[in-house]
Amino acid sequence: MLRYIRIFLAVIVFVAVIGVFVDFTGTAAGWFGFLPKYQLVPALLALNVVAIAVFAVLTLVFGRLYCSVLCPLGIFQDIVSRCRIAVSPRRKRRPGVFRFSKERKVLRYSFLGVFVVLFVAGLFALLPQSYAGLLDPYSIFGRGVGQFAVPVWRSAVSTAASTAADHGAYLIDGEPAVSPFVWAVAIVAAIQLVIVAVIAWRSGRGYCNAVCPVGTILGFLSRFSLLKPVINLEKCNSCGSCGRHCKASCINTKEHKIDYSRCVVCMDCINNCTQGAITYTVRRKAAKPAQVTADAGRRSFMVGAALAAGAGVAMAADKTTDGGFAPVKNKKRHSGVRATVPAGAISLDHLRSHCTACQLCISACPSGVLKPSISPSNFMQPVMTFTEGFCRPECTSCADICPAGAIQPIDKEEKAVTKIGTAVVDVTQCISAAYGQTCGNCARHCPAGAIRMVKGENGNMRPTVDESRCIGCGACEYHCPVGSAGMISSEQAAIYVEGVENHRII
Amino acid sequence: MMQNYDIDPSRRRFLRNLGFAALGTTVAGCIASGKDDDTDKPTGEMTYRTNPNTGDTVSILGYGCMRFPTLGMANGTDDQTIDQEAVNRLIDKAIESGVNYFDTSPAYCQGHSEEATGIALARHPRDKYFIATKLSNFAPQTWPHDKSVEMFENSLRYLQTDYVDYLLLHAIGGGGMENFNNRYIDNGILDYLKDLRAKGTIRNLGFSFHGDIEVFDNALAMHDRGEVHWDFVQIQLNYVDWNGSKEESKRNVDAEYLYNELHQRGIPVVIMEPLLGGRLANVPIAVVDQMKERRPDDSVASWAFRFAGTPEGILTVLSGMTYMEHLTDNLATYSPLEPISAEEDAFLTRAAHEILSNNTIPCNYCNYCMPCPYGLDIPAILTHYNRCIIDGNKPTDTADPDYVAQRRAFLYGYDRTVPRLRQADRCVACGTCVSHCPQGIKIPAELHKIDKFVENLRQNKA
Repeated sequence: MLRYIRIFLAVIVFVAVIGVFVDFTGTAAGWFGFLPKYQLVPALLALNVVAIAVFAVLTLVFGRLYCSVLCPLGIFQDIVSRCRIAVSPRRKRRPGVFRFSKERKVLRYSFLGVFVVLFVAGLFALLPQSYAGLLDPYSIFGRGVGQFAVPVWRSAVSTAASTAADHGAYLIDGEPAVSPFVWAVAIVAAIQLVIVAVIAWRSGRGYCNAVCPVGTILGFLSRFSLLKPVINLEKCNSCGSCGRHCKASCINTKEHKIDYSRCVVCMDCINNCTQGAITYTVRRKAAKPAQVTADAGRRSFMVGAALAAGAGVAMAADKTTDGGFAPVKNKKRHSGVRATVPAGAISLDHLRSHCTACQLCISACPSGVLKPSISPSNFMQPVMTFTEGFCRPECTSCADICPAGAIQPIDKEEKAVTKIGTAVVDVTQCISAAYGQTCGNCARHCPAGAIRMVKGENGNMRPTVDESRCIGCGACEYHCPVGSAGMISSEQAAIYVEGVENHRII
Repeated sequence: MMQNYDIDPSRRRFLRNLGFAALGTTVAGCIASGKDDDTDKPTGEMTYRTNPNTGDTVSILGYGCMRFPTLGMANGTDDQTIDQEAVNRLIDKAIESGVNYFDTSPAYCQGHSEEATGIALARHPRDKYFIATKLSNFAPQTWPHDKSVEMFENSLRYLQTDYVDYLLLHAIGGGGMENFNNRYIDNGILDYLKDLRAKGTIRNLGFSFHGDIEVFDNALAMHDRGEVHWDFVQIQLNYVDWNGSKEESKRNVDAEYLYNELHQRGIPVVIMEPLLGGRLANVPIAVVDQMKERRPDDSVASWAFRFAGTPEGILTVLSGMTYMEHLTDNLATYSPLEPISAEEDAFLTRAAHEILSNNTIPCNYCNYCMPCPYGLDIPAILTHYNRCIIDGNKPTDTADPDYVAQRRAFLYGYDRTVPRLRQADRCVACGTCVSHCPQGIKIPAELHKIDKFVENLRQNKA
């Protein structure tokens, strides 16, 4: 019974967390947006005292229930090992696929040590916090979902919605934002997930008990938990079933001992003990037999392909016939420009030292503005790009959802006056300033009224930026025809946003 | 940096949607009237009119070759290649049913209309039909004498013929007198065309008119002074433009004036835009009700065609028929034509007011504005906007109980119909399109208005 409650809760959490990532309408985030905030590493970074207290109490009372029910990567591993069980031949005499192993103390504490060093280095902004995030189970999971499930889901919904729209039913407001897929990040995400999955396939919760810093930290507390599975030696017939069903490999059936620092209270041993010798109770004793199964099998992850973009510049005569299209292309970002990060991030350093690169904000951004960085100085952390959208004034999705406090909550009114960057004009590329064409699309779309068209030295109208009014939303860069109109050979906009180090109210 | 542009053949969502739209209305009309059969629809003989100059007996229904079906329409892709098989079927059916006037231009269908028309018509005896084409020398590089001559000679080659029955100076009026002089007078092209008429290479010489009334009046003054004899003239005429065109666009001229000027001189009149690019097949539902009450079995479009064909000075009424349903519906309307009665005429005048009062943008989706050098899909943007107004789906007030649904329908339909990089917010107001629009729509201003509207909608401000 306890096992089914655990599975029930785990399935809900697992689906809900994935939902928060993939549901670009924000509905799932409205219901379950709190879940990512109840993940240990983000909660530590956000100084989320409530969450940390909940974890401490939870673990001191129930053991490492967190790992079985709250941690999406833990649930993912259960799913993988359940798949393994499903394909293994069923043995009547000695059921179960796992076996006891000793605690790998050196490995475990080394990884914890590495994590602590990275974490502290991150806090002091010596390194981006995303390097510590490489070991954070929630972020590993988030990157997998963000890079693979999100793109796949978006294209699926897009297809379904256009089919429905053909029949007059409008399921969504507009096309979902462009895919957040970035090769470098996807490769890291894939490698990490594959490693975790392979370990889970071979030895259940091996990752949790040898590598995961969260598991090790919780293990300190779970040794002293009030409730724990206890083996009743009077009933135990030493069949060893519990050990073979323990995916945490923490039941020493020979000595009838359970390593509570590794036990994730999955209740599989209790369920599989034919003698009813294991109980989840306050009392502590030594052990006898039990069995194990893992979890209900589920989905595997698919790899989404990135969209190709951009038509080349074509040559042709003037308009002589009617109809057809001039080519358009997606513009490219300017390189070597200081990164822009969303309002609420406080400063580049604040984001850098708090973001574990879980990709949640990137998945939540409805405008396709946030993308994971591929620069080593803020690897995988979100940066803003204004090539496929701009930071819309009515939206605070990223700030609402960030679990690590890297992007702090902010309201629309405050966001509207928070300066995150400044637009810079490249007059040599501007079709108005340099070529005398009618344009002014940047000025027309500036929500802050910061861009003014003035007469330049050559008599052409040129955009100028009132840096005291400009907030860095990127509407100018997005709407600039340079870089997106196919007839113009430039690949980048003639106006672009350069981030400011410290955000400020204007 | 500024380079020339080419046509991007890969994006062709608009035509598809327009096709759906046109199909939707027409099919709905046909089904509602119980006339859903493609064949055997006409009930009698086609009405014919006589050209007083040459004695040509011309069918009142003329085939406009500007909106030919594309392969993309059949297979659901963006393929814009003309579906020659479908064109052949349409033209075969038209000729078999008595249609004998085919109107094309070197500019239509991205320049492929004449070729497709030629292929389809060459399969029939040359004396069974009349070919009308145009000297579409809009671009300045086609103004020199030899370039315009080359354009005409290419027309003959594409149309697989050595004479043209009706040749038009294409859309005079746009760009005013200066443009007219540049295109036809200063380069001696009008004289060249008159010579060809004398030789019989051109049997009838005329012009089509959009825009500046000064050019029209001047052309008729030339006729009166004997400098040129216009054998026919093509004008825009429909029950909305008859005397309400000013309401629609300041640049437009009432068709009543144009028609009367021509008729009193005995010049036969060819009608274009009788249906306003399909807009008069898609009218406010209150107007539909009144039409169906009067003639339950007739399509909404048939009213427009009957109106256009009623005046006696009309030689033929052009319809750009994309689908077989369009053709069969029009054949039914004109076989034979039942003229509009005085009572019906009064009703259509009232209907015109109702149609004009809904603030749609008077775009006929002719695609003359395209390609926009900045890549915008202008007709698709305007179509979507108009459709939402006509369907009552234009969200206006956040307090309206339908606001959420309307907003969703508008925004989703917009993103779906028009790719982001081709939407109204990309318009830089370069103005290239303005001179090409035969309806005189101030396209950049309209696009900026729509952009603002969409932006407010995205912000939930309505």
